[in-house]
Parts: sequence; C-alpha cells; structure tokens
Amino acid sequence: MKNISEDREKSGIFPFNSACDCDKEGIRDGELSKAVFDVVVIGAGIVGSMLLRELSRFECEIAVVEQFPQPGFGVTKSSLSYIHRNHFNPPGTLAAKLCAGARKAFRKLSDELRVDYKETGEFLLALEPSHIPQMMKRKQWGEQNGETGFRIMKGSEVLRREPEVNPAVLSAVYSSGHGMIYPPEWAFALVENACSNGAHAFFGTKVIGIAGNDDGLFTIHTGNGTIRSRFIVNAAGNKAAKIASMTGDDGIELTLSRGTFAIFDKIHSSLVRNILYVGGGDPAVSQVVGPTVSGNLILGLGSFKTPDSTEDTKVTRESLDEIIAMGRDIVPDLPVTDIITFFAGIKSVNNLEEGGDFHIGYSDLSRRVIHLLIGSPGVTASPGIARHVIDLLSDGGLSLVEKKLFDSSREKKEDDWDKGQKWPCGRIVCRCENVTEATIQNAIERGARTIDGVKHLTRAGMGRCQGGFCEGRIIRYLSEALGIEPTEITKKGEGSEQIKGME
Amino acid sequence: MIDLDLAVIGAGPAGLAAAVRARKEGIRDIVVFDRDDRPGGILNQCIHTGFGLLRFDEDLTGPEYAYRFVTEVNRLKVPVELGTAVVELAKDRILTAVNGKKASKYRCRAIILAMGCRERTRNAVMIPGTRPAGIFTAGKAQRLMNIDGYLPGKSIVILGSGDIGMIMARRLALEGCEVKAVVEKNLYAGGLIRNKVQCLDDFSIPLLLGHTVTAIHGEYRVEKVTICTMNEGGEPDERTAKDIECDTLLLSVGLIPENELTRMAGIGMDRSTGGAFVDNILETETEGVFSCGNVLHVSDIVDYVSLEGEIAASGAAGRIRGVLSEKRYGKRFVSGRNIRQIVPQSITQERETPLFIRVQEPTGPARITAGDIARKRVPVARPSEMIELTIEKKKCQKLLRPPGEGTIEVNCREE
Repeated sequence: MKNISEDREKSGIFPFNSACDCDKEGIRDGELSKAVFDVVVIGAGIVGSMLLRELSRFECEIAVVEQFPQPGFGVTKSSLSYIHRNHFNPPGTLAAKLCAGARKAFRKLSDELRVDYKETGEFLLALEPSHIPQMMKRKQWGEQNGETGFRIMKGSEVLRREPEVNPAVLSAVYSSGHGMIYPPEWAFALVENACSNGAHAFFGTKVIGIAGNDDGLFTIHTGNGTIRSRFIVNAAGNKAAKIASMTGDDGIELTLSRGTFAIFDKIHSSLVRNILYVGGGDPAVSQVVGPTVSGNLILGLGSFKTPDSTEDTKVTRESLDEIIAMGRDIVPDLPVTDIITFFAGIKSVNNLEEGGDFHIGYSDLSRRVIHLLIGSPGVTASPGIARHVIDLLSDGGLSLVEKKLFDSSREKKEDDWDKGQKWPCGRIVCRCENVTEATIQNAIERGARTIDGVKHLTRAGMGRCQGGFCEGRIIRYLSEALGIEPTEITKKGEGSEQIKGME
Repeated sequence: MIDLDLAVIGAGPAGLAAAVRARKEGIRDIVVFDRDDRPGGILNQCIHTGFGLLRFDEDLTGPEYAYRFVTEVNRLKVPVELGTAVVELAKDRILTAVNGKKASKYRCRAIILAMGCRERTRNAVMIPGTRPAGIFTAGKAQRLMNIDGYLPGKSIVILGSGDIGMIMARRLALEGCEVKAVVEKNLYAGGLIRNKVQCLDDFSIPLLLGHTVTAIHGEYRVEKVTICTMNEGGEPDERTAKDIECDTLLLSVGLIPENELTRMAGIGMDRSTGGAFVDNILETETEGVFSCGNVLHVSDIVDYVSLEGEIAASGAAGRIRGVLSEKRYGKRFVSGRNIRQIVPQSITQERETPLFIRVQEPTGPARITAGDIARKRVPVARPSEMIELTIEKKKCQKLLRPPGEGTIEVNCREE
C-alpha cells in the first residue's frame, strides 16, 4: 500500500490542506498571521463548495474553512438531492430568481466535473380534492417563473405511468427533467476542482471567533489557528446565525426544522420511476417518494419537527412511523421491510425575509462580509447563489480578474472500471454496491479521512448490509494510508473512533 | 466465455462440502468462487466450540471444522478462486466473476449457490435515535475481535439473543468488557438453549426477556440506549423506558440469506425462508441451479449445512451426467399448524430426504408429521431450533408413483 503523505509530497496530487496538515503547509498560528486571503468561505456544504469553485475562476487567494472532516458532511448529506424545476418558489422571491437555470448549470458541471447527474419526471399528485388547489398553484408558480411543459394528467394516466401509485389518485401535474444528484459527492468534486485551481481548503477547522483589524483585514480564529482575510462569506448553513453573531450581526435568527428520510434496497429501484410529491397545502409537511441518482428508492420527509439544536439529527419512532404512513399514502405496497437506512436532515428559515425566502446580503457593519441565510431548496439554488455572491463581492470591492488558466474539468481517475464495461475488474470490497479496493484507496488519496467520508465518496458501506462486511477493511485501508492506528480511525471525525484496542 | 461443469459460489461450509462431494462423485471440471482471501467463510471467525457434534462426534471450533473440508478440497485438487466475486448470474447459467486481474464469464452445466447470509442491521429493525460510532452487528464484532484483534467497545448492550449475540456476550466478557445486558423482545431466547446456559448464565450476564431497545443516544459515540418492555400487542411500552449507559450496541437480530444473485437469475423464492424454492435434491426451480446452506435457509447447526451441500452436489452431479429426469413439479409441502418454514419445499426425486422444519411458536412435547409419510415426537419445539424429520426413500417412491402434482401438509401438534 502506498503511503499517502509521502505520495502527496512527491506528486502533489493531494488537494486538501486538512487541519492536521497545517503545520506542514506552513499555515499554522505564528506563520498563519502572514497568510492572507482575499476571500474566506466559512462552510463547505454544497453552497460553500459551489461558491469556492466559481471563485477559483478569478485571480484571488481564496480558502474554505469547514468544521467537518470533508465537504458536504452537514445538512448537505441529508438533503433530498433533487434539482427541482422552479415551481416550489413563489414568483418574485430571491429563491425563485436563484433557482432559475439550475438544471442547465448542473448539467454543465456534471460534464466538467464528471459527477453523476440524472434526470427523471415528477408528479405532483392530488390524492384528495383538497390537494388540487395547491397542485395547481405549484404549476402556476412554475409557469410564472419561466418553466414550461407542465401537464395536467388524469388519475388513470398517472396509474398507467406509475402503476404502484395509490389507485385513489385524482389527478397530477407532470413535468419532466428534474435532476438527481448525490450532494456530498458533488461538494467534494467542487472543492477538489477549486483546489486544483489554487483554492485552499481547511477541514476539521471550526471557526470560534472573528475580529476586524485596523489594517482592513479580518482575523478568523479557528480551532486550528487563525486565518486572515479581506472578505468573508458566511455559508455556514444552519450555523450561519452563530457565525453572523461573531461578525457583530446579532439580529439574525434561524428557525430550524427536521425532516426524516428512509432509503430502500436497490432491488426496488424500478418500483417508481418518477418523483412523486403530494401537493398538500401545509408547508410544514413534505410527502415524497422517488428514485435516487444511485438507484435506490427514497422516502421523506414527514411533518417537520423542531430539533433541540443544529446537531440534533436524531430519528424518532414517531417520525419513522409517520413517513412510512405518508409513503403508503402515495405507494400503498411500499416495501417497508426493505428499508436499509434512515436519517434526518435539518433545514432553516431566517427571520429577515417573509415567507421563508433566502436572505443573502452584506453585514450591517461591513460590505466585505456576506451572510447566506439559505433554506430549502439550497442544493438546487447553489449555482445561482454562487453567481449572486460573486456579484456582491465585486460590488463590495473585490476585484475580479479571470484566470487565464482556469481548468474547469476534473480528472476522474477511472480506477478499475474499464470504459464501457459493465463490471469492474478489481477486488470487490463492498459487496452490496460492488465497490473495489482501488476505488476506496483512490477516495482516501483524494482526501477521505473517515469511514463515512469513504462511504459518501464511493458508496462503500451504503448498501443493504450497511458496512457489515467491508467496514473492517475500510478501517484498515484508512489506517495504512494515513499511518495511524486502526483505533484512531473515526466514523465521522474526532470523538467517533469506531474500534478499540485489546489490552 | 469459459465452459465449466460445476460452479460453486461460496467457499463456506456449504460450498466446501458440495465441492468435495461433487469431486468424489466424479465431476472433474469444478471451480469454487469466494470473495474472501481464504476459504471457510464465517467459520473462520467462529473460534468457539460446538461444531461437528453430529457429523464428526467431536466438539470442534469453527476453523477446525472448516480445516477438515479445506484439507479435502486441497487433497482432491478442486480449484478455489479466492478474492473473486460472482457479480452476475444470468438465467441461462452464465455467471460473471471478477477479481483483481480480470472479469470472466463462465457457462456452467450446473451451479451450486452457497453464498451464506448477512446480518440484519440497526436500520432493518428500525431502532430510532442518533447515528454515532459504536453500533455493530454481532457477526461484524466477532470478525473484528477474532480475526482483526480489536474490540468494538468496553461497555456493551446486546440486542437480540440469537446464537451469535449470546456467543459474543461471552466472548466480550472473556476480554474484560462489561456486558450490561442481552435484550430480547420475545419471552424466550432466540438461539440454542446450550448457548443461553454456556454463554449468559455461566457468566452472570443478564438476559432481559420481553424487552427491546427503543432509542440510541450519543452524537459521536454511543453514550446510552433506552430500553422498554414489550406490551401484549408486541409494541414497546414507552412508560417503562429506562436508559442503560454503554459505549457500544451489538445487534443479533436475525440473518438474511444473501440471495441477490438468485434473484438476478429470476429464480423463485420462498418468503418464509428468504431462500429459493427447492426440491429434495435442493435444485431450485431453474434446472441445474442448486441452493444449500444459509443462502437457502438459515441453519442453527453447521453440520446440517454441510449435509445440504452434499445433497446439492449429488443432485448437480446427476444433472451433469444427465441421469436425472427432466425438471418436474412434484409433491409440495405446505405449512400446517404451527409451522413457520420447511426445506426442501417439494419432493421430485426418489431418495431419502431430510426435512428441516421450524415452528412458529414454542411448544412443549409435540408430534411433528409430514402427511402420513413421516412423523416424529419431540420433547420441546422452539422457533430457534430446527427440527429434522427424515422421509425414507421408499416413502418418497410411493409418493411419486403415480407422478403428478400434490401437496403434503406438515404439522406440529402439541401433545
């Protein structure tokens, strides 16, 4: 097995300066005060990652700081992962403006970054008469937002296209071309591409304080030392209010709500082919069954609950029972015994805008600090948000000169999969998802540092046995590559060490 | 495309026994495939004793039991392709196997499915709560300890009193871990009685019957679990909730036959066993494809698994030599009173046939009958202990003449 730390120094392929490597890279405390960035993005969720990548087109020194060990480890990994058509946002809102053109942007990025993006159709279902007005309103919103191709279908036609749907279905609004992605994989690819264009990324680096200086620079204090920057973009997701209070913007409040998801075994990949929403009128409830980009079936989200904190992603018995009951409303023969995993995600709504709209704007104290208060649909809006923030940075005084040598494409190592071959030639480690040893080692080489990190990049451990057979080997690969003891390997960062030594 | 007489998928106890028997019956052209780096399957991590009591009249460890078959396979020079995963099985007995060097297609005259089983997970039994480190299935923890030499944690709660769960309770206690409780939702232990006595009682590990785990707590590492008693409706009673502090939750909540390839090939499945429908030579509904061991139905004793491997191998040898009659629909077993599952599900061939039966509910002394062709008295019957009922060859002959479809009801009547 190759030793990655040596490998990195030789070939320079390792893109990330994770926190533990700061001293090697010469960016730690004492010396760090000399390192000055033009822009520091706080948070490497899908929004921060997208912004970093778009900023890396320009001649400026940029960095992202992220508390988790990998991009997309926060709310990004627990989102519905559809690139919606623009019919969920009321016309005239910022969210509607930023979601426009999302699918085109994702299609282009998918080619450039070689990350999976697929499209499928969507039915907004009316299962009872009270659903019809809401369903029609969504269609109207979509059309006012410039989308076309919405079709009203009778129940019988819905059933002809999706035979598993509840036979009580009255009608539906159908539209094609809804995107599906796996957001953590995208966040990773975006940061990777940004780094290959000169951006810096610091993981496992939690921001603990921000100070303004007389020299016009901000000092960002983190758990791993300080970083200085001329501009700050607060893309901390559900923790954006906390970061805002560090820059002196105390009036921001985020109301959190938690939705629950369940994922089904891939044997049911063809049970439904389209995204099936119920067009109920209550914004505090979301009821959806649909495919995922990787061929599973996903069920969510139930009536949103208020979590105890931004970290409170527990799944409760009531939520599970509720989403199953709601799922059976849509697909009566839902194969509940083949649920392979479930999880919860938290979204937020800010107090500055009406009706749950996004708020993206300067700090009250400085036009060099921008706060992003994003709710749902954050993944869909992320390309639009990136463009919008770059405009705000420019207006705020950042000079933006395009790089001559920006490389928009990402080399995806073909690992074991021969082009055009259905099966890999390689040692299969994850038997449920057929992930090979080379794919896993490639992910570790690219910067996966934890068991969940490997999982989000390769799907190893994401299948029906949930790592029952492969986790031990993944721990061993991580341990060998990182040169640390297996007992030091974590599931998802410090404090989540998975195994203990025998004494 | 490589032509092959017999492919055996899986080099665990079923696959190894099948390979040995097939070679002894004169089949030359055999390949055994296994994903792991060494043959023996799950036996390699079962370092406790209790293997081979029926077959060898000896009390062996798992690796010792496996070694006897591995030695035979080597002596008979049966090729075993290790580190090789069969990733596709087509209807026409064509399989695709991949390893570090190549992906190859084999066209086989017969195939024996011996892929074993996997464990049900925390998600499959839907235990709510957080998603921290420190949650293991019992078999995964067993591999971690006995093969890799690490511990899953120091202070442990085990949900489910399946055999692996109870054996791991003892194993962890022996390594100095504190096993706080084994929690079982039923009012009886899920595994063999001998394991309850030797693994829990002898180590003073509490077995909480009629309880379940209703929540997992801890953001990064398991900090505690909530347990509740089960009410009469089979639901946890939240009013009885109490927390047990621990850093690890082990799950022994059932095994699932690993039949993804079987399904891929469109082979008919039995919902009660989670395995294929087979006849009394363990041939599936697809001619030339056989199934044996835990991939067919989860056994509690390895000796039966080896026996099934041999039955399947004899059947496969018969198919390869062309001495068996065309695949036909024979007499089918149906579950009568208090019967959960029966393997094989039908009789098509005239040969002595061991039936493996599981009951639905525990009973005292009972009479097990298969129509009027076999009967047996048992002192007790428990869902956790498979009952073997042998049907004599001459009864099978009588049953199959004249040919035609029919059913035989299997019953367990308490006496």
